[in-house]
Amino acid sequence: MTDGDFERLYERAGAALRTPAPDEDAARDRLVKRIHAESLRSTTRRGNAFLPWWAALAAAAIAFAAGLGTGRATTSSRSSTAAQVAGGAAADAAQRPIEFVFVAPAARNVSLVGDFNGWDASATPMRRTDGRTTWSVAVQLPAGRHVYAFVVDGDAWVADPQAPLAPEQWYGQRNSVVVVAASGDRRS
Amino acid sequence: MTEEALVARAVEGDVDAYATLAERYYGSCARIARRMLRNDADAEDVVQDTFLRAFRAIGRFERGREFRVWLFTILVNQCRTAATSRKRRQQRFSDDETALDRATDERPTGIVDETSAVAAAVDRLDPLLREAFLLKYVEGLEYAEMATVTGAGISALKMRVKRACDALRPMLEAIYHD
Repeated sequence: MTDGDFERLYERAGAALRTPAPDEDAARDRLVKRIHAESLRSTTRRGNAFLPWWAALAAAAIAFAAGLGTGRATTSSRSSTAAQVAGGAAADAAQRPIEFVFVAPAARNVSLVGDFNGWDASATPMRRTDGRTTWSVAVQLPAGRHVYAFVVDGDAWVADPQAPLAPEQWYGQRNSVVVVAASGDRRS
Repeated sequence: MTEEALVARAVEGDVDAYATLAERYYGSCARIARRMLRNDADAEDVVQDTFLRAFRAIGRFERGREFRVWLFTILVNQCRTAATSRKRRQQRFSDDETALDRATDERPTGIVDETSAVAAAVDRLDPLLREAFLLKYVEGLEYAEMATVTGAGISALKMRVKRACDALRPMLEAIYHD
């Protein structure tokens, strides 16, 4: 068989796997019902199912500024990175501003991904804070355990070398973990 | 309505628009999750959770991005998390060494249709190779899109796809030529 024959073989296999499962329509209906139920719950909880992006950003910026005013527990060392806590009395009781710092001199762009932003590499871009090597971003996180990583130049996922690794390995890829206490301290 | 219009309306808070997107992409997500988790019930849980997480995050969706790639990124990570949790759960409840020794990875015999036979072959792949093969040959993603979804580099993904194909080749030949 030629390479073209093999390619057609793989494409045929791919097509075979696109066959819908027998119960797919029922499962799709269940999902749509859950989406509508979730929408109702969100409306009840927050008064609106969606916050405009600028409102969410403004809220985060205000809370972060308030938190930083009371100082931050920096653990960053000679080179790389650290998830730093910016706790503060002015911060919202349920959410804490956490600053993530990553040193990557050669990077063109860096973003933060985690279970708190749906692992969306476009959701939380980081900014150069010293104009050269250090990237940072502050996010509002509730108390609890959060798993995260950095995405460098859009395609390389890197665990935070200054933070503990999450025990779960995703097929060999490791992520970092930060635990935010209710007081705003970070526990590792 | 175009996908772009649906996404724009969903971002603005139109639940029906989001539900339409969910209906449109349910099939793709379900087949990825079924093959990655090899368990239909777990797969449905993961797919439902993926769409609900995406729904909560849709307000932050960046216009100009491809919705499918964004959604698959969440899905793939949900599958990885579910696979890890399940492994821990199985470790907790499977400490009978004898039972483990007796376990094999043999598949049921008597597979009669093409889809089941191919699924059984793909299920034998290492999860990373399986993931790459599914995104490439089942969902038809470009390598750059796969890189966004998986967090792996393009060269690594090309290698995974090649290794997946090399491993599948004899099994597929047996399916299609016997």
